[in-house]
Amino acid sequence: MTVQASTTRRFAFSAGHRYHVARWSADENARAFGRLTVPHGHNYTLDVTVRGPIDPQTGMVIDLGELKAIVNATVIERFDHADLNADALFRERIPTTENIAIAVWELLAPKLGPDRLARVRVWEDPTLFVDYDGR
Amino acid sequence: MDAEMTRRVELTRVYHFSAAHCLAHPALSAADNAALYGPCARPHGHNYYLEVTVAGVPDPVTGFAVDLERLDQTVSRTVLDQVDHHRLEDAPILEGVITTGEGLAHAFWRTLREALPDGALQEVVVQETAKNRFAYRGEEI
Repeated sequence: MTVQASTTRRFAFSAGHRYHVARWSADENARAFGRLTVPHGHNYTLDVTVRGPIDPQTGMVIDLGELKAIVNATVIERFDHADLNADALFRERIPTTENIAIAVWELLAPKLGPDRLARVRVWEDPTLFVDYDGR
Repeated sequence: MDAEMTRRVELTRVYHFSAAHCLAHPALSAADNAALYGPCARPHGHNYYLEVTVAGVPDPVTGFAVDLERLDQTVSRTVLDQVDHHRLEDAPILEGVITTGEGLAHAFWRTLREALPDGALQEVVVQETAKNRFAYRGEEI
């Protein structure tokens, strides 16, 4: 019998961004995004959930040290104290919380495997989070 | 359709309200309610958190899956205005509801499902205290 479980590890990064469509005028951007078109930043929280069988030898779904190393190298070093709008991942899309969750999935799925990566949750602040599960 | 355009995310917004309530079934005597609900049968209050989860696909231009301002306005107008600093038993949307966490989650679900665009609402969570959390996703058995 194989027992499936999930493991969630929490990470944090602080990043700057703005909501801005380059081909729109300043007025159009202000109308669509209000204050969010002005460069500002957030202390983001990232919850990464991995699902899989509990290894009968180790008792683990994933070695948390391995998960930490992958997420830190792939996501945190890239986004922490960075300007998200300057990242190639956001050249074609605005770094909204929705798109950040999708981008984090795109970064992590090849490293962890889309079958093991169960969910990415990005908190912009304590009142707002977005989940993406690869669908 | 471009795969990029079909990526469905779930967005959760966390709201807060403070309210008074007491648990009492109208058909029972005060003594029976006290026996059934214990200290919760006495008028008291909580600092509640309400989590509203909606699903959507990020707009290819704006990156928004959800119009957050509209969501906030809808939740404020249909739910928070009725319950924040009120007795829950006085709220029209809670008429006939025993205001347990489960009862609130279910009642808020019914209100918000009507008020939000079709199919958007995914989950309503009511956190009564740091120890009690109640969720409803529309399931019926």
